[in-house]
Amino acid sequence: SSSSTSQKPKTYEGPKPRKNLVADFISKNDDLVRSLPIYVGGASLLAVLFNRTVSGIAPVADASSSQSRADLLALGLAVTNLLTGLVWLSIRPKSITPVNPKGVECKVVESDLPASMVSELLWAWESLKVATCCKSLVIVYNGICLIQIGMVAESPEDKKTVIVKTDKLMQGSVYRGVMKSKAQSYLANLSLYPGRSELPFLPANTQAVILQPLGDKGIAVIGGNTIRGFTSSDQAWISSIGEKLDATLGRYFVDSDEISRVTV
Amino acid sequence: AQRSTRIFARTENDSPQSKTSDQQLNLSVLRFTFGIPGFDESYLPRWIGYGFGSLLLLNHFSASAPISESQMRSEALGLSLAAFSIALPYIGKFLKGSVVEQRSLPEEGEQVFVISSNIGDSLKEDLAWATYVLLRNTSTIAVLISVQGELCVRGYWNCPDQMSKAQLHDWFKKKVDEIGLADVKETLYFPQYAGSALSLDILPDGTRSLFVQPLVQNTNEPQKVNGFLLVASTAGYAYSDKDRAWIGAMAEKFRG
Repeated sequence: SSSSTSQKPKTYEGPKPRKNLVADFISKNDDLVRSLPIYVGGASLLAVLFNRTVSGIAPVADASSSQSRADLLALGLAVTNLLTGLVWLSIRPKSITPVNPKGVECKVVESDLPASMVSELLWAWESLKVATCCKSLVIVYNGICLIQIGMVAESPEDKKTVIVKTDKLMQGSVYRGVMKSKAQSYLANLSLYPGRSELPFLPANTQAVILQPLGDKGIAVIGGNTIRGFTSSDQAWISSIGEKLDATLGRYFVDSDEISRVTV
Repeated sequence: AQRSTRIFARTENDSPQSKTSDQQLNLSVLRFTFGIPGFDESYLPRWIGYGFGSLLLLNHFSASAPISESQMRSEALGLSLAAFSIALPYIGKFLKGSVVEQRSLPEEGEQVFVISSNIGDSLKEDLAWATYVLLRNTSTIAVLISVQGELCVRGYWNCPDQMSKAQLHDWFKKKVDEIGLADVKETLYFPQYAGSALSLDILPDGTRSLFVQPLVQNTNEPQKVNGFLLVASTAGYAYSDKDRAWIGAMAEKFRG
């Protein structure tokens, strides 16, 4: 109805973002800025007392003199700064250093899939890699391992990459638990989790895992290199991507099932 | 085809309100709070700064002359402390893990959903899905994706009422061409957007964050742009690095 876009696109003359020097400085010097109010408040506190001493004012403050009132207000402000600094220090997010996954880079994609589906799976992988601490991804759907990509464990005996054994995974309690609950399961600290032996294909030092069910037919196993490395926003995005993959994959497998039934 | 209808049905029913507030960094700390609803304690130093600062001035001008030197020193220090206290909430916003502002939905107007009719089904589904999850997973209230001149618009926009979908589609297309957004070559992020004289008047009232992500093509040809993705929010500083990374990942899907 309206495809008259043959003319050249207009050049963009809208606003351009300006650099916020304050924001840049603070995010680069987080620790310094966080404790700054404590230093400022503490120093001011001492300065007020020092000022009273050297000026020969009696140490007892009484509200009748304007000097004492000014000093009390300054002290109140100094304490406000001090307390703000303490609050800032107490809400500092713990930074947990990521580990280097012990394993080998691997990319195994099921060969029967149409190109559009492969590109969608690869897009999901790239998104996870860019936006989260994800280092390994495995997607099993309809009893087939569609993709195993990223870091993969190496078996100690023959130095070969550990390929996902779909049957074993699907019979395991981890898989069945996720399928039963139909909800994402976040193993924020994998080393505390006994079921990790059912995920032998992940690098041995994988720190956190998200198990995302894809409808009732499959699962995405997402391994990360940081303890509690996936934020709640990551979890929400991963659920969304899970729904999307289930929609795309589900339609393909329903169609291909029908075709195979017809040909048989 | 049943599965695709499921996605579409959900996208029409779910409003951005369904997004929960657990979107920020996962911090397992106890936060000191008075627990007064509607009162943001992080602004407390600012109010104390204003209050005590004015009291200092009041004290200065009500005092009987002559004012001693030591009192002047105290007052100078007190006023600088007041200024610093007033600035503290602003500084605190940029610290890692600070609380993000919540978006507010416009009181007037309704959500719109407009999509070009002459595009393939799979692209249509991808566009509908992407605009939906951007509303759900970030504090976006208005999203627009343009792929090779074709549009998908969703959320609250400052657009005329009583227009049919087709008219609305053409209206958006005209506006987008006027701004020249298809020409943007690098990401634009305005965390403190305060309106603009240009044709960005299609953004909803009260927009405080605006993020534009061009869809740069995967070819070797430099700077070949396939379209753009625009999200706007009524919260200031709405898009953290993480949010922008995820929005960039969404944009990857339409790079072509």
